Amino acid sequence: MKICIINGSPKASKSTSELLIEYLMSFIKENKVVIYNVCKAELSFNQFSQIQNSEVLIFVFPLYIDSLNSCLLRFLIELEKRGFSNKNINVYCMINNGFYEGWQNYVAADIMRNWCNATGLTYGQTLGIGAGEMLPFIKDIPLGHGPNKNIGIALRKLSCNILSLNKGEDLFVSPNWPRFLWKIAASFCFWYPKAKKNGVKRKRLKDRVN
Amino acid sequence: MNILIHDLNNKQFQLLFPRVNNDIYIISDTGTIRHCSGCFGCWIKTPGKCVLKDGYDNMGKLLGKSEKVTVISQCFYGCYSPFVKNVLDRSISWLLPFFKIRNNETHHKRRYQNNIWLAVHFYGENITREERETAEKLVKANCANLYVKNYEISFSNSLENLCKKVTVI
Repeated sequence: MKICIINGSPKASKSTSELLIEYLMSFIKENKVVIYNVCKAELSFNQFSQIQNSEVLIFVFPLYIDSLNSCLLRFLIELEKRGFSNKNINVYCMINNGFYEGWQNYVAADIMRNWCNATGLTYGQTLGIGAGEMLPFIKDIPLGHGPNKNIGIALRKLSCNILSLNKGEDLFVSPNWPRFLWKIAASFCFWYPKAKKNGVKRKRLKDRVN
Repeated sequence: MNILIHDLNNKQFQLLFPRVNNDIYIISDTGTIRHCSGCFGCWIKTPGKCVLKDGYDNMGKLLGKSEKVTVISQCFYGCYSPFVKNVLDRSISWLLPFFKIRNNETHHKRRYQNNIWLAVHFYGENITREERETAEKLVKANCANLYVKNYEISFSNSLENLCKKVTVI
């Protein structure tokens, strides 16, 4: 099966979307898979053609202001303009957000569903994941275990539907980790150390610009 | 201060809104905007300011001074247009990186304490019922994340109709 994965993360460094693609690849690697990051470089005619002639399109991207980032949105408009002569394509999405709740991705999923309606493609399923910034920190824990339990189970369900070209109910999950601990860890293990690396003191993080 | 973010070209804008109040700060597409690269620099490197210096790097500060924000955007699949979305993507410095729980949902804490009144006017010839419903959900979600208590949303199938609905100008 010809599968095309669209990475819609504009992040220069390694992104959570990239990690999620690695996870998904372990389930679908027997297929002919190509991966494009549409936020880093413009695609060539041949690359667009490969996307238009896939059997499955999988969009993997982060949530920006409750929806898609502007780069990915531009790409989707361009892809719709170019059109699909073969409408027999199933579309699946993996969306991650920086909040805790995976279901906060539901508007972005609706937007992707509307894009499918506009292009005439079939929408398969969404996997919306919360606490996206946490995933790289727990990447050494096997999927389906510990904090990666829910994500592993959801990825297996999504990949089963991808491989059988089935539709499925949208799946929204968060890591198996208490929300209050995640919230504390976000400040003390993520934002404060990152600020410190940049020479910014904690209290300056709340500065207002006049 | 009132802010207007729009995606109309100069000709369209001048034709539709020939007279504009002086107290409105207008953000339009000058062709220089760069997309948010998700570096979080506006939170952890230069707090409150975007690190991309392209003329759209002070969105957090502008929102922090605003009372009313009006958005005019073509509707794409129930989302904003790429330019308007780009401006919004570049506005996260209005918020802090830290989280709080409200209505059993996590949201970012606010950097500024001003209350914004948001008016979103979508336009487009063929906005479907589904796209309209999605756009309504999107604006509602934006309001929850930007601490907006009062908002309005409208849909117009032409620029002429849009003109009748926008009152701030």
